[in-house]
Amino acid sequence: MMSSKYIQEEFSDIIDDIFDKKTGRRSFLKGMAGLAAAGSSLTLAGCSNNSPFSEENILRLKEYFKGNFTLMSQEDKNATIKRLERLAKIKDGLDLKISSKGPIPNVLFGFALNVSRCEGFMDCVQACVDENNIDRKTKTQCIRVFEIEHGEMNVQSGNGKYFHEVPVDNHFYMGVQCFQCENAPCIKACPTKATWREDDGIVVVDYNWCIGCRYCQAACPYWGRRFNWNDPYIPAEELTRKQHYLGNRIRPKGTMEKCTFCIQRTRTGRLPACVEICPTGSRVFGNLLDPKSEIRFVLENKKVFRMKEDLGTDPKFWYFVD
Amino acid sequence: MKTVSEFYKMAMVVMQVVFLFYGCQQGSHDNDVNSRIKNAKTVMESQPETGETTMVLSNTVIAQVKHKDVPFRVETRKDVMERFKCSECHIGKKVHVTKADKVAHGNIKKLHGNKERPLACNTCHMKDERDFLVTEKGVKIDFNHSYQLCGHCHFREKADWVGGAHGKRVSFWAGERVVQNCTECHDPHSPKLTKRWPKTYSLPLSE
Amino acid sequence: MNKTSDKSFFTFFMDGLRWTLTGNTIYQVYMGLLFICMTIGFYAYTVQFNQGLSVTGMNNIVSWGLYISNFTFLVGVAAAAVMLILPAYIFRDKDFHKVVIIGEGVAAGALVMCLAFIIVDLGGPLNAWHLMPVIGVFNWPSSILTWDVIVLNGYLLLNLGVPLYILFCHYNNREADERKYRPFVILSIFWAFAIHLTTAFLYEGLPARPFWNNPLLGPRFLASAFAAGPALIAIVLTIIHKWTVFKIETGIINKLRIIIVVAAIINLIMLFSEVFKEFYFPTHHSLSAEYLFFGLDGHNALVPRIWFAISINIIGTLMLALSPRRNAPRVIIPASVLLFTGIWIEKGIGLIVPGLIPSPMGEVTDYIPTWVELWVTAGIFALGIFVVTMLVKSALIIEERYERQKAAVSS
Repeated sequence: MMSSKYIQEEFSDIIDDIFDKKTGRRSFLKGMAGLAAAGSSLTLAGCSNNSPFSEENILRLKEYFKGNFTLMSQEDKNATIKRLERLAKIKDGLDLKISSKGPIPNVLFGFALNVSRCEGFMDCVQACVDENNIDRKTKTQCIRVFEIEHGEMNVQSGNGKYFHEVPVDNHFYMGVQCFQCENAPCIKACPTKATWREDDGIVVVDYNWCIGCRYCQAACPYWGRRFNWNDPYIPAEELTRKQHYLGNRIRPKGTMEKCTFCIQRTRTGRLPACVEICPTGSRVFGNLLDPKSEIRFVLENKKVFRMKEDLGTDPKFWYFVD
Repeated sequence: MKTVSEFYKMAMVVMQVVFLFYGCQQGSHDNDVNSRIKNAKTVMESQPETGETTMVLSNTVIAQVKHKDVPFRVETRKDVMERFKCSECHIGKKVHVTKADKVAHGNIKKLHGNKERPLACNTCHMKDERDFLVTEKGVKIDFNHSYQLCGHCHFREKADWVGGAHGKRVSFWAGERVVQNCTECHDPHSPKLTKRWPKTYSLPLSE
Repeated sequence: MNKTSDKSFFTFFMDGLRWTLTGNTIYQVYMGLLFICMTIGFYAYTVQFNQGLSVTGMNNIVSWGLYISNFTFLVGVAAAAVMLILPAYIFRDKDFHKVVIIGEGVAAGALVMCLAFIIVDLGGPLNAWHLMPVIGVFNWPSSILTWDVIVLNGYLLLNLGVPLYILFCHYNNREADERKYRPFVILSIFWAFAIHLTTAFLYEGLPARPFWNNPLLGPRFLASAFAAGPALIAIVLTIIHKWTVFKIETGIINKLRIIIVVAAIINLIMLFSEVFKEFYFPTHHSLSAEYLFFGLDGHNALVPRIWFAISINIIGTLMLALSPRRNAPRVIIPASVLLFTGIWIEKGIGLIVPGLIPSPMGEVTDYIPTWVELWVTAGIFALGIFVVTMLVKSALIIEERYERQKAAVSS
């Protein structure tokens, strides 16, 4: 049971937000929060069976009325992360560490995949699911590998459902994922600016701001986006606890998600999970703006191509052959 | 020509005003990835402070080659080899082993080189000093730098490996570059990767 | 409003509600059925709300299904009110002027359904406020969806505002001031074209989907809408004529017939043009059309539906255009039903689902709606029909009283 003092504090906090701090639309939202809290029977709190003024419900309410991530000050970001961590602790007893680390200056991430090396082992697919806390119930995967017969160079003619010993003779393998387009159709389509391109080139989704209209999914020519059709289920022991607000934190149901080049890893200098696990070294990742990076070596010395380049989406993901 | 391109740009501006869409900016190719890459000339001399890049550099050595004058490190080999040092047995005279299969190298299946002219042990292993490898021209090579030996024949792969198009970088894209040795992925005696089942499968989306 | 004798807007609304809910036994059964549908639909929606959209037949390949299909079709129905407004207010056609309010009622009902279909399709309906200008983040003008939000809500306001103003004046026994509402009527004519073109641009602007990325989509939306919408209005008028005390002159239905025939023929020509483009020299971009008309990789859920739709579409058009008794309601009504159903299937499921199949990576899967989707859809249709009934019935009662009053005063 929460003491009434706690409740009072929380509410005076909300009231303070409304009247004291910088006015603007944020405070209007918080005003609405206060009203909703006082008035409605907290339908937002949903299934939780405890008192409507429990800590959990107040946290949920504050979460509900927070703004778009791009409009948050650093304090707002820290506050929401604190709330998310606390909520995970209350609800599931999880100790999460959620980061909101911004892009590193003078970095533009790029990716290259060697189609003549890839053998279709799909270790990357599994590593991606494990690292990024992707729903196990629907078996969603953000990387898909296609088995293509020699003589073709087109995923559409390939087989994405293979499950047999690989590599098969006379076939090659082509992995696809979000290509982090510079001129991304999904960003243009989003009606609420819940998805955008960060300065380091990663296209991210604000999972709490997304309304789940799926227009971006229709707009993506690479099938790079996945929807959370239900509340994602991840066994607690398989959960990656080091998370990023824009990356692998557990998504609410009804929101869009996608490959973020493992933003939680790459912004701390580590390689994406798919690159780290790749047993054939087919995946090359690095900073496109550094002339001495490996990705630049690939672009300068190998014959590279990008998928559906005719669409003008300008992806930062290249395929190359030895 | 200049007036034509200027006219084109003017027309694009008019189009943008007419349609109010960002998309028309595509017309001017100043902002696409490839021109950004071309304009980026500054090398990241000091890698960014990324928090986790303090990595263990033990078990690595500085490679004997450089990429664009930048030295990099290679994972060592000797400490992970099963029976190093070789000179513990091979000391200049013939070694007699009764159970050669188990104690010696009977488990090694040699599938390297082409069928007509398969490689012999001594093609790579130095006969006189067993703790070293040797090239065809007789240059002695340390096991930690075995890529030098592989690169003798597979020079294209080696060039790619030095640049980063072949092989694997370890753990971090930033910070000091550490790459895996050839032998991390390829068994030197049978370098082709073996076939196996995929780690997972993608759902058949129609059932 | 200035007169003290004016009844308030609240009594106006309550009277409307009272008229809507009362009637003879058959009417009560009809209302009962609507409420049952709405209740089951609401229950189905709560299931979807709690468990997520995984209870629908949609998946990551077919990410839009029945909801968006119906939304797209109903935008057309809403836009079609312009086919009554245009002659009534611009060409001052007396016949149309009498029924224009019914057309506007149908449009308003269709728009309510459209908005409801959008809401139920959202993964996070509680987050819908993020889409509102000022308090949310409105990605305008970049996202066509934001344009659609503007035009749909604007059109709903126009189509509710103007008739409500006129009716409210008549309810209080005074003439509506045409100078006040005429600008909005003119605006609503342009707006009608805007809602349907914008909805078409929603799909037309996606290079990811070659089936939709087709400049003919917008014009074809208009043509099919101006066939299906008036067809529906013709059906509604006949129902009113037959089942209520209000009589509709057959001349109006005949005029509607001509509109329907012209639009339906243009629609069929455009359909033929599209089919020609897809199948004369089939490319990778024709796979969606191939899936729709012939099936792909053993998946053919839509094939019978589309052929059925096109057949009844053609039969309906021919009946309206060539039948010797084409002026008789006995021909017009079945033909309108055929045409309406045909366009509904073709422009709903037949347009949205194959646009998503095969996926951009060439994968084919079938889409079969679940009971949740079907009931939610039925519930929304019941809601829309209820709204139309409420608007039209109140309007007719008020108009009839007003006419009687006027006649009494003049005599």
